[in-house]
Amino acid sequence: MNTVTRRDFIRYGSAGVLGAAGLVSIMGSQQKSASLLPAPTGGHGGHDGLSMPGVTGEVNHAANGFNPTDLLTDFDYGKVSTLPNGQTLREYDFFAVTKPIEVVPGIQFEAWTYNGRIPGPTIRVTEGDHVRINFVNGTAHPHTIHFHGIHPGNMDGVYEVVPTGGKFTYEFDAEPFGLHLYHCHAMPLAKHIAKGLYGAFIIDPKDGRPKVDHELVMVMSGFDIDFDGQNEFYAVNAIPFHYDKNPIKFKVGETVRVYLVNILEYDPINSFHIHANFFHYYPTGTSLTPSEYTDTIAQMQAQRGILEFTYGYPGKYMFHAHKTEFAELGWTGVFEVEE
Amino acid sequence: MTTRTTTTSATSPRVLNWKTLALFIVPILLLLGVIALFWFTDGAGLKVQPVVPIEHLTFEQTILRPGEIELHVQNTGPQETTIAQIKINDAIWPFTVSPSNTIPRLGRAALTLKYAWVQAESYEINLFSSNSIAFTTNIAAAATTATADTKTLLSFTLIGLYVGVIPVLLGIFWFPALRRLGPRALMFLMAITAGLLIFLGIDATSEALELAGDLGGPFQGVGLVGIGIVVTFLLLDAISRRQVSVGRSEAAQRMTIALMIAIGIGLHNLGEGLAIGASFSVGAASLGTFLVIGFIIQNITEGLGIIVPVLKDQPSVPHLLGMGLIGGGPAIVGAWIGGLTYSQPLAVLFLAVGSGAIFEVVYEIAKLIQKDGAKHPMPLTIFSGVTTGMLMLYLTGLLIK
Repeated sequence: MNTVTRRDFIRYGSAGVLGAAGLVSIMGSQQKSASLLPAPTGGHGGHDGLSMPGVTGEVNHAANGFNPTDLLTDFDYGKVSTLPNGQTLREYDFFAVTKPIEVVPGIQFEAWTYNGRIPGPTIRVTEGDHVRINFVNGTAHPHTIHFHGIHPGNMDGVYEVVPTGGKFTYEFDAEPFGLHLYHCHAMPLAKHIAKGLYGAFIIDPKDGRPKVDHELVMVMSGFDIDFDGQNEFYAVNAIPFHYDKNPIKFKVGETVRVYLVNILEYDPINSFHIHANFFHYYPTGTSLTPSEYTDTIAQMQAQRGILEFTYGYPGKYMFHAHKTEFAELGWTGVFEVEE
Repeated sequence: MTTRTTTTSATSPRVLNWKTLALFIVPILLLLGVIALFWFTDGAGLKVQPVVPIEHLTFEQTILRPGEIELHVQNTGPQETTIAQIKINDAIWPFTVSPSNTIPRLGRAALTLKYAWVQAESYEINLFSSNSIAFTTNIAAAATTATADTKTLLSFTLIGLYVGVIPVLLGIFWFPALRRLGPRALMFLMAITAGLLIFLGIDATSEALELAGDLGGPFQGVGLVGIGIVVTFLLLDAISRRQVSVGRSEAAQRMTIALMIAIGIGLHNLGEGLAIGASFSVGAASLGTFLVIGFIIQNITEGLGIIVPVLKDQPSVPHLLGMGLIGGGPAIVGAWIGGLTYSQPLAVLFLAVGSGAIFEVVYEIAKLIQKDGAKHPMPLTIFSGVTTGMLMLYLTGLLIK
């Protein structure tokens, strides 16, 4: 391509071409102009603009219906009652709904969601509980909920596809304890996951885990906004750069537990790295003994694990995918540790 | 009634009475009615809203300054477009935009990224519209874009001088030598000139069409090429016929042909200068010494073409030099325009006008050959001449393509 002909001169020169690459989700009128126009570096909430350049502007969380900062600690314990046999019953209402989500400022993604949010509700139960999920499909496409865990085949959310307007009740005993996930298993599978149908599923051990000061849920995923089979944006809890612009705050010496799930579609491996610190890692959370003391771990799709750490010094510490391309495309955040 | 109308207009076409006028207006009124129907009923039963918004964006110019990239874009789609985010080499990057990131149809915007680009490296920049449509442009090899200072103007002038003016003038220096040739050799030379020009014309047309394909829809690139070629051809043809009809001497007519060849070649060199200037300014040109030498060798044949029609005559030295400047000088102007303000539709038009001019000149030479060959037809000389002319450009072209 370095043999430049007279024609190529013109082409490379000034006149690039423009591909209208992919197609699109059509949404009504988008956020216009002014609010997007940007202070290139100053646009960084809180910190110095020296870390990630990031997106220009801020998404409309109210219109999206959820704020990733709230999702961190939003554990859904369900509607609790006791069954005749003494078993605890936790009941959830799930509905699939199509919803335009402003993924990055100015760009709406026609998402498929559980209960209008990405990731879906974080289900939190205790080992041995009876779990009942009443699922209603309110979209124009068939969906299911496929839980990771141990349960009968007809509760696996694969062959019992729920049509538009249909209902299905998933019912099973929660086992084994650990950190799991759920996602739609209707075909084409990759599309149904990438559109936003996934969430975290925590089964606490009977006697619980050691008490910590902060428990946070982080679900890693991406968005293929132009439908070319590649992600344009990456994030934890859906919104790229959210925790970079809105750092997660805690104090020196406080114990932090992160429930980390990877459901990233289209890319084989995701990763998690914290700066200036190490964490204990419990793969899948199925053991109470950590397997590793490290500052970086990798997860393929549906792998998950629990991280525990404490910061000894105040300051701003990045955490991000150590596939740095993902980091620069949104999967990046900041812990702001105060005295 | 139809019959009567026909009869009326056929038998008395001069009469433009009220009735005729009304009959002209009726279809127009009906047309307005149909448009109104479509407008107020949202397509009169047709589903005219596209499933997805149609958006096009044309990248007009990329300007690189230290630590900064500026993209000039034009919205060539049917509706307004909002640029929501920009990615450069797979990193989301903040940007500023003026006047607004919502660009109306055929409107323009300048997008600026504070980005520490690296000399000679390549970049892919993706603009995402609010409808998630991606528009991509590439920087083949990053280098600071030239600005219009004296030094830059001088270097563009030098480029134009080397690839345009000097070779064309050098070709003209063959004049004294060529005058000594006999009629067959002269015929051969004219055929060579025709061959050269045919090749240049095809080349310019193909460049124009290729560029036209990259133009945004509203510019109708191919139509623009057609207009450029046909209008130029007919205009030059009309001028030439007028000169014949006002009864000028044959020598004067041959001089006119030489001048027209010079103009045609000049337009061609303008396009060439545009291309070189544009690429030079953004550093895309691996415009090595070798390439410049290639241009010189190729363009020397253009000078030859200019003088062939007047070999039998006594053109003055200023005339010859003047034609050399007309043929070669536009390369300088082209380099300025291409290097400093580049407009793709204009480039397409220049190239098309150049092709039209060149084809017309081929037509003039063909008439000349026909006239000269009337007494002693030399078909093989013409065949081998045209072939030689085309091959000359093809082979010298190998040096610069």
